[in-house]
Amino acid sequence: MLILGISTSTKQVGAAIGGHEGVLASSHSARGKRHAENLAPAIDFVRRQARIELDEISVIAVDIGPGLFTGLRVGIAAAKAMAHALRVPMIGISSLDLLAWPLRHTSREIVAVVDARRGEVFYARYRPTPGGVQRLGDPLVASPDDLRADLEATDSDYLIVGDGGLRYADELAGIVRVEIAEQYLAHPNAGSLVQLAHAKAIREDFVQPWQLEPLYLRPPDAEINWSTREGLTPGEAR
Amino acid sequence: MILRARTTSVDATRELAAVVAKQAAPGDVILLAGELGAGKTAFVQGFGAALGVDEAITSPTFTLAHQYEGALTLHHLDVYRLERLAEMDDIGVSELLDGGGVVLIEWGDAVAPALPNDYLEVSMRYGDGDDDRHLELRCVGRRWSARHRTLGEQLQPWAEA
Repeated sequence: MLILGISTSTKQVGAAIGGHEGVLASSHSARGKRHAENLAPAIDFVRRQARIELDEISVIAVDIGPGLFTGLRVGIAAAKAMAHALRVPMIGISSLDLLAWPLRHTSREIVAVVDARRGEVFYARYRPTPGGVQRLGDPLVASPDDLRADLEATDSDYLIVGDGGLRYADELAGIVRVEIAEQYLAHPNAGSLVQLAHAKAIREDFVQPWQLEPLYLRPPDAEINWSTREGLTPGEAR
Repeated sequence: MILRARTTSVDATRELAAVVAKQAAPGDVILLAGELGAGKTAFVQGFGAALGVDEAITSPTFTLAHQYEGALTLHHLDVYRLERLAEMDDIGVSELLDGGGVVLIEWGDAVAPALPNDYLEVSMRYGDGDDDRHLELRCVGRRWSARHRTLGEQLQPWAEA
């Protein structure tokens, strides 16, 4: 079983191929926000490095966010298109899970934090468990101050990881017993995606391309109230 | 905080927009409200020209978003075709706002719930003459409220009692 993993939820574009033997090839680039330009060449690069043909891929795994909307759109659209074309199932994994997983060997509580822009972050808390991490509650969107208050409310040692943690390092630095993981770990890793997806694939924990949705975590969706424009009629009194 | 203005031609609307553009800062959001033909695109054209955009600015009704480079990057959005607020996320509005440019949104009043509560709303209505327009500029939030007085002085030539 070979899995292609695609991660574009931050400014980094990641692609990897792997399976039972682990990760065979991976590619990561973070220069600018050039998801659309960089993704297809990255996929082709890892395919050639792994020395396989596309029709040997049996699962497409994709990072479903939360993160950059423009990046997610590119990655998820490409992943769905490939799954359709190859007639293979998909596995979606959260960017926050991908950030936390490489830190599973710590004894501290892990806080994965993705920059949500507009002065907010997406975050989730994790507890390391044998062989992995366990998420403590649903992912949230919050201001850095709210995140800090949330962390200060519990008496734990924290390891913060992600581009949101680095961006708001100053706001989070005052918390006792907190450390922020380095830049190298700050973006979801496509190799981690392949490894986590492999564990799910063994359990046949798949979704079909039409079922897979990005994780936006923004306020509840609503229909746009277009009645506003009908109220603007010519000559209406000020 | 509402400023009222009146223009009597499309060019006057563009000139007024140019004056607003001179007050613009990175990260600003301007919502343009008004029915078809009220002058929303003309406003963006005048605004862009004042930023030194030399490309032709056309309505992005079908492409949703255009980007122009000037003294500031100008993002010109038209949300007329959107049905749901979540589609604002699909356009990547958060990232545009974070990128240091200025974002002008046609029909923007309809999607205000999906935006930070910090913007200038420009509402345009037809006046008595074919080319007459009444404009209301409403400062919402900290960024524009701080510029309310200056903006009022600058818009004096078009002021409406």
